[in-house]
Amino acid sequence: MPIRLLVVDDEVDFLESIVMRIKLRGFETHGVTSGTAALEHLEANPDSTDIVMLDIKMPGMDGLETLRQIKTSFPELEVIVVTGHGSQEYNRLGRELGAFDYLIKPIRLDTILERIEAAYSSRHPGSGD
Amino acid sequence: MDDRYRQLQWRMTLSGLAVTLIPLWLLGAAIYLYFASAVEQSQRTQLHALALNRSAAIQLFLDERVSTLEVLAHTATPDDLTAPGELANVLHILNESQHSFVDLGIIDANGEHLAYEGPYPLEDRNYGGEPWFQETMQRGVYISDVFLGFRGVPHFVIAIRREDRPEPWILRATIDSEVFIHLVRSGQVGLTGDAYVVSRSGLFQTPPRFGGSILEQAPFNPNIAPPGVNVVFRESQMSGRMMSAFAWVGSKDWLLVIDHDPAEPAVPLRQTLRLELIALIATSLLVGGAVIFHTRQLVARLAAEDEKRVRTEAQLAHSARLVSLGRMAAGVAHEINNPLAVIGELAGLMEDLIDQDFVEASQHGELFNENVRKIQRHVDRTREITHRLLGFARRMEPQHDNVNVNEVTREALSFIESEAAFRQIELVQELDRDLPIIKSDQSQLQQVILNLVNNALDASSPGGRVVVKTWADSKSVMVQVEDDGSGIPEELKERIFDPFFTTKGPGEGSGLGLSICYTITKGLGGSLTFDSEEGKGTVFRVRLPRIQE
Repeated sequence: MPIRLLVVDDEVDFLESIVMRIKLRGFETHGVTSGTAALEHLEANPDSTDIVMLDIKMPGMDGLETLRQIKTSFPELEVIVVTGHGSQEYNRLGRELGAFDYLIKPIRLDTILERIEAAYSSRHPGSGD
Repeated sequence: MDDRYRQLQWRMTLSGLAVTLIPLWLLGAAIYLYFASAVEQSQRTQLHALALNRSAAIQLFLDERVSTLEVLAHTATPDDLTAPGELANVLHILNESQHSFVDLGIIDANGEHLAYEGPYPLEDRNYGGEPWFQETMQRGVYISDVFLGFRGVPHFVIAIRREDRPEPWILRATIDSEVFIHLVRSGQVGLTGDAYVVSRSGLFQTPPRFGGSILEQAPFNPNIAPPGVNVVFRESQMSGRMMSAFAWVGSKDWLLVIDHDPAEPAVPLRQTLRLELIALIATSLLVGGAVIFHTRQLVARLAAEDEKRVRTEAQLAHSARLVSLGRMAAGVAHEINNPLAVIGELAGLMEDLIDQDFVEASQHGELFNENVRKIQRHVDRTREITHRLLGFARRMEPQHDNVNVNEVTREALSFIESEAAFRQIELVQELDRDLPIIKSDQSQLQQVILNLVNNALDASSPGGRVVVKTWADSKSVMVQVEDDGSGIPEELKERIFDPFFTTKGPGEGSGLGLSICYTITKGLGGSLTFDSEEGKGTVFRVRLPRIQE
């Protein structure tokens, strides 16, 4: 069974291209443009997602709040933060709230996927590829 | 040490000396006055005793002579006394014991001498019309005032009337003035003291040492002296302020006067004054020295503390500048990273979609493929740059070069524009195009402007407006940040430049922002001022010199 991803980013150009690229690599991927939409999607489609890829700076509910709510309502999900905001403070907060990793944009897709697979492996030991 | 501290030291020293020395001197004066009054009281008592003693002595002198003459008049008849040589014999015997009789005379009821023994040629004189003769005939015993008489020399007489003959007769003796004057003068004290006797009619009966001679009118009316002995202060024409004792001599209408200069024999008082002055001066020097020493130390410590504080502030300003630059760098990185990520992903997608068929079918297929990879490489390269930005900012040195204040302002505002937009506050720039280039520190200036605009945003509510304005006059370039926010309450206006003073909640502001802005502006040779009205808004003005010193 392929790894199922939810990508959350308010930058539509970024979101559309990365979703398409990840799909091309055989992952089951869905994209939303806000934290609220992400939570709605997760509630509407239970057990449809393994890993969430999350931006921080977003209008409305920001990434850190989204992360907190996901970790509260869906503790089985791993979250990887991918953001342009590289401050130590946000990095620390993200990890405290339970993010698996905190990656700074721009970043090569291969690197992101490596981290996604690592996160998945940590949840499903011995599943392999 | 600059003038401010010298002034402070001067003021503290003066008030310290006043607080310590004035009570000391007041106490000294009080002790002196108390002692002086005690001395005066003692002088008064001594003078009173002396006057009492001397008047008693005069009284005794007169009484002795009256009784001697009375005994003589009662034990001898005029016939005995008028016998040749007898009167001379009696005068000789009297003077052996009393040394005070000048002459003796036996006078009949008509005032004619029956006999006379003495140095003056008075045998043929008739005393019938003399006042002392009349008084003696009336009273029986009489002591006269001093008068010149027939001999023309001041003297007084003691006369006794006897009735043992068919006609009354009088024994008369003249008293030696020198002996009497000597007796009176035994009441003199010190170099300027005086003792003399005045008759009830105000004539000197003995000569005073100063200001008069015998039988002259005394400069005061003796009748105002009450009975008994009295000590008073009076002004004398000769010796100024005098302490005088007045004592009436009981059996005679004579007033003994003893004058005494209260300043003269007051050796203990002067000694006390000298001792007290020495003690006062020594204590004053000691206390004054201690006050000056401690004030000097205190002010030096204060100056050192101030200097330390200024150094700390400068260090704080420096570190705050670094922090601010770090934030700026992070902001720049964030702003660039997002579009860079989009470019990277779009290029990545293109690379994913270009397959071998496309490359071969298209004339420039390989070029497309290659360029897409190049775009990704350049994205990687730019990423390295933004990641290094922070480290670079940390190593930035303070600058002192040509600064375009408008450019610095615009740059500062660009970092905060999105924040303003996010909080729905309108950020307006009104920059003077003809602003001169000045010598200053670009990054420090930027921090000041950033800080002021940040504060303005914090003070404003959504829908508010912050206007940043620049202009120049002949000496300065001005940057003004104006908001229509909450304003600064009157009671806080004095404190807003104090370090660590903040109205923001815990963790929101260090309270250093305005203090650092103030320090930095000062450091740049300029000034930071403000006007504020509660509820209407605040204007901060940064004034920068056109020519840096």
